[in-house]
Amino acid sequence: METLHFLMQGFDVATRPTNLLVALFGAFVGTIVGLLPGLGPINGVALLLPLAFALGLPPETALILLAAVYLGCEYGGRISAILLNVPGDAAAVMTTLDGYPLARQGKAGIALSLSAVSSFTGSMIATCGVVLFAPILAKWAVAFGPAEYFVLMIFAIACLGGMVGDKPVKTLLSALIGLALATVGVDSTTGVYRFTFDSVSLSDGIQFVIVVIGFFSVSEILLMLENTHNGQKAVKASGRVLFNFKEYCFTFWTMIRSSVAGFVIGVLPGAGATIASAMTYMTEKRLAGDKGKFGEGDLRGLAAPESANNASACGSLIPMLTLGVPGSGTTAVMIGALTLYNITPGPLLFEQQPDVVWGLIASLFIGNVILLVMNIPLVGLFSRMLSVPNWVLVPAITVISMVGVYAVHSTTFDLVLMIGLGVFGYILRKLDFPLSAVILGFVLGEMMEDNLRRALSISAGDLGILWGSPITLVLWALVVLMLALPGIRWMRRRKQIKAQADASAA
Amino acid sequence: MYVRLFAAIWLLLCAGLAVIAWGFQAPFAYDPVGPRAYPLLLLALMGAGAAWLVFKPGADTEKLTRQALLRSGLCILTLLAYALLFEPLGFVLSTALATFVLGLLFTGRALPCLISGVLMGVLLYALFDYALDVPLPLGVFEALVES
Repeated sequence: METLHFLMQGFDVATRPTNLLVALFGAFVGTIVGLLPGLGPINGVALLLPLAFALGLPPETALILLAAVYLGCEYGGRISAILLNVPGDAAAVMTTLDGYPLARQGKAGIALSLSAVSSFTGSMIATCGVVLFAPILAKWAVAFGPAEYFVLMIFAIACLGGMVGDKPVKTLLSALIGLALATVGVDSTTGVYRFTFDSVSLSDGIQFVIVVIGFFSVSEILLMLENTHNGQKAVKASGRVLFNFKEYCFTFWTMIRSSVAGFVIGVLPGAGATIASAMTYMTEKRLAGDKGKFGEGDLRGLAAPESANNASACGSLIPMLTLGVPGSGTTAVMIGALTLYNITPGPLLFEQQPDVVWGLIASLFIGNVILLVMNIPLVGLFSRMLSVPNWVLVPAITVISMVGVYAVHSTTFDLVLMIGLGVFGYILRKLDFPLSAVILGFVLGEMMEDNLRRALSISAGDLGILWGSPITLVLWALVVLMLALPGIRWMRRRKQIKAQADASAA
Repeated sequence: MYVRLFAAIWLLLCAGLAVIAWGFQAPFAYDPVGPRAYPLLLLALMGAGAAWLVFKPGADTEKLTRQALLRSGLCILTLLAYALLFEPLGFVLSTALATFVLGLLFTGRALPCLISGVLMGVLLYALFDYALDVPLPLGVFEALVES
């Protein structure tokens, strides 16, 4: 009952005219950013974050804007996946597998509308999940002390290494690079300058906005340089614009199953939408067996990843809101946004800033409806966006990035630092290091050190406090499990290869 | 190959930073950990990861071509020039120039790039400075406005 009361209060906040307008704007911009190949939710959120801050938007409005952009990106990614066979963001890779064949068969309209409804279903189910579980988890999380937090953050990083899979060492190294970047600046407890190289501009650390924009926008610009195209030819959306009832029933259970699975994966810290969409696609393919036409335009192969990636996007808000630990790269950026406003996400947020939390949750419902309504009739407009040539797009991204960074401190040093970080990020990307892990590490960095030192202050330097309580023990067990996962997968693969070799030899 | 090279450089960098970090000492002990332990722990872990990659770099990444290197080099230089000229030249002029050069780099034709450059410089300045209230440097136009 209490939850319902808070939710109504949240709707009160979310339906204020400015907030509605901001949600509408965010949804629109998000869809466009999402559908542009290469630009994903992190870019969208990163580009708008300094703007929101410079505009002096109140925290709940800024958060609503960012959440709308996040959701919009997940909606937008599917458009270029279906029409161009180019995923608009990483999570839409799976959507191309069945979406593009459908478009080639002249069913682009059906594919687009059905995937919009899948996205909607996924987000709605997950948002209901957030309403149900977030307050419970927040109550429970109050029992977390500094030691528990420290171990929880280790778990978040281990999750990244364990779930991303094929390159655990690179992922962990990326996260460590992020953690190390966060140590630059004056140490808050003792006042010692660390890694500042006597530069005044570095003394209060590297600003979050600079790191995000450098790593994601600048490196993206350099990456785009490699495939310079002048607008791509999209498949013309033809035929029926809307799916029919039979097609909806055919995919109904797929949507429900994938939404729930996506939500659960999203809640795990570190594991994001990309993993959710891949896992649900594989599951549906297995469930359908030989009768499915997966890969040749099966509607279920379209519905599964789309509902899963939206569900996990919403689900990843749970660890962010209740624990202050990001569930994905994008929520890491949102945590950074909150700290710009001097709001520390975590269990107390529900008590101290109910307007922010419940306004955000309510705005998810509203944003979803806006996106569904916007996406079905406006698909033509959005698909025309795909033909904006790079020689207009890239300079525009550059200018907005520059302004965003300049708005923080108004110094040339920050601009140069941003480009330096961007080049570094580009190198990391070329070498296949996941950048979202760097950002996650950077956001966790300061909290992690603070909690470690606070925990050890409590115990007067006794390391035992780090595994002294049942919660920490459970978390350590999970950490070990996560770190063992890549090893287990590797062993299993070796066994399989060996079995195959034996079979072919016999 | 590139991964191995990167990991080796990173390993050296970690060692160098560890030497610097060794000097972090607080005049008074405020807490049992101090400012030195945590960075050193991170550097040690990073060093271990980098060392692993030196020995097991995994699948090779694609080779860089000379042309691609040249283009990204040019792009980085343009961005750097933009950053350095942002304040002295002011937003409008530096943006117009950077947009023009970047447009050319991304295979745009000269005239449309020039037009889009000037338009972006002027329009975005108006948008940010007047509509959105984000202060931007005027640079060379400052004298004009003041007089």
